[in-house]
Amino acid sequence: MFRRYASPRHFHDLCGRLLPWLGWPCAALMAAGLWGGLVAAPPDYQQGEAYRIIFIHVPSAWLSLLVYAAMASAAAAGLIWRTRVAEAVTIACAPIGASFTFLALLTGSLWGKPMWGAWWVWDARLTSELVLLFLYLGIIALHGAIPDPRKAARACAILAIVGLVDLPIIHFSVEWWNTLHQGQTVFRLDGPSIHPSMLAPLLLMAAAFTLFFAAVLLMRVRCELLHRERRRQWVREVRA
Amino acid sequence: MGRPEAAAGAFAAVVRRDVRAALRRPAEALTPVAFFVVVAAVFPLGSGAGPATLAAVAPGALWVAALLAALLSLDRLFREDLEDGSLDQLLLSPHPPALLAAGRIAAHWLLTGPPLLAASVPVAVLLALPPRSIPILLGALALGTPTLSLAGAIGAALTTGVRGRSLLLPLIALPLLVPVLIFGALAVRAAALGVSAAGPLYFLAALLALALTLAPFATGAALAVGAE
Amino acid sequence: MTPRQRRAALVGGMAAGIAAAAAFAFLAIGENMLWFFTPSQLAAEGPPPGNRIRLGGLVVEGSVRRRPGALEVRFDLADRAAAVTVAYRGLLPDLFREGQGIVALGRIDADGVLQAEEVLAKHDETYMPPAIAESMREANATERAGAPTVRP
Repeated sequence: MFRRYASPRHFHDLCGRLLPWLGWPCAALMAAGLWGGLVAAPPDYQQGEAYRIIFIHVPSAWLSLLVYAAMASAAAAGLIWRTRVAEAVTIACAPIGASFTFLALLTGSLWGKPMWGAWWVWDARLTSELVLLFLYLGIIALHGAIPDPRKAARACAILAIVGLVDLPIIHFSVEWWNTLHQGQTVFRLDGPSIHPSMLAPLLLMAAAFTLFFAAVLLMRVRCELLHRERRRQWVREVRA
Repeated sequence: MGRPEAAAGAFAAVVRRDVRAALRRPAEALTPVAFFVVVAAVFPLGSGAGPATLAAVAPGALWVAALLAALLSLDRLFREDLEDGSLDQLLLSPHPPALLAAGRIAAHWLLTGPPLLAASVPVAVLLALPPRSIPILLGALALGTPTLSLAGAIGAALTTGVRGRSLLLPLIALPLLVPVLIFGALAVRAAALGVSAAGPLYFLAALLALALTLAPFATGAALAVGAE
Repeated sequence: MTPRQRRAALVGGMAAGIAAAAAFAFLAIGENMLWFFTPSQLAAEGPPPGNRIRLGGLVVEGSVRRRPGALEVRFDLADRAAAVTVAYRGLLPDLFREGQGIVALGRIDADGVLQAEEVLAKHDETYMPPAIAESMREANATERAGAPTVRP
């Protein structure tokens, strides 16, 4: 079963069949989450309406970490089993992760100016997230610089795995250091410190973002596989 | 293959070879340190600041200079070996690539680390760092520069033989080196303020332990990818 | 050394290295590496006056004073054990209010007042509707006669 889908051709077909099952639920959840977050949820007791940026900021930040974890897992699988599909997944993850990281930094900055009084501060959370963006950019650049796709994928996989060190630093930075960024809201031992009326749309948005990632990932993997295997018979058949 | 003495012998042989080759061209071996001194000396010229402001930016400036010097020398870490084919020979030897990478990294640090430590004392004086912070500066550099060599070697190995390498290496290595810069500068700043620098120093030690454990394997794997 | 022993030595060495890194990181976190000092940390282990530092604490209720006709604002920043007066000229962030967590950057002058160049608000990780915050505050007030329950 797994062996079958490790072949680029079958994986390409599988992605095509899965895409609508990801795309439509994603759109529905996104609409529900945006309505819930921007219309239905009450304003915050301290921040008023401005807190609503969390419905974009927080899912982006979560996804920036999740995508990296997915990328590093695919990288490890690619190095161990040398499957072309895993290599394509590694490469396909990087631009998506970089976009989520950039979005998290951008929305955080827009939120920081009115609330904190500064667009940017060099505290541990912001700095480690910025390092994550640089890691993604480094992987994209390295991939672009090596012409042989298999060699490029393996080099990027090594870099992706080395960069995993940054993930726990980002997650725990707000607990290990005195940061200006606030602490964990949702992933807490004593339960989320956010009112259920606000948590529900946040989780909807997180689910929508995750599905969005999965859908875009599958599309990018398909492109990557078609590009790499462009001289093979099956790609010619797909094109025909 | 397999006996620990043989592995230790191979490691020592790589270190000896690199150190000897470098000492034969002392001017080239000292280039990174000269670069470090020049970059650090440019900061006061560029900022035009008085001693108080200078001392405030000095910890960062010193570490930025050390990081740039490391990048400069890392660029050539594996290049000549690739060009003259000795990298392929090393990889064909019965020893794991990680061991050879470790030897290469150890030689790199031996050649760049101690001279940089020695040069950092006059540079600290130039940058108006308070004298009480110099022991902490030396401690931080002693813990941090091996990590720069180790983590930077991963980037150097990944970019060996790649087009546009000299621009790519900083992009790839910087995220790996930034933590060293942050905690190194934090330690020196704490010492300059007269507060305890133990926290950042412990963190530099943690980074060093992590880099010692992982970097040789990642570097070895990257070399194997580049050579195949 | 058989391949199996070699692999065991390798895994053991890597585990030892990672354990050492974790131990040092643990020590480092215990040492509290600060982006800012709290008032009691400043009193206990802070640098001498005149150095540029960041100070974080809660704005003491009733301590905000504005000099009439001037932009300068003075307020006390406190944690559980100590308080420092902060003087600042400029626009305060939206979230600045009594009881709020604040980080101020500046120098302590000869009178022990922090002359701030920058004042940033630190908001907490709690989000709730205003009505619920109000009812919680009332519940707290009846429970312990108005003591501030905010955390640094």
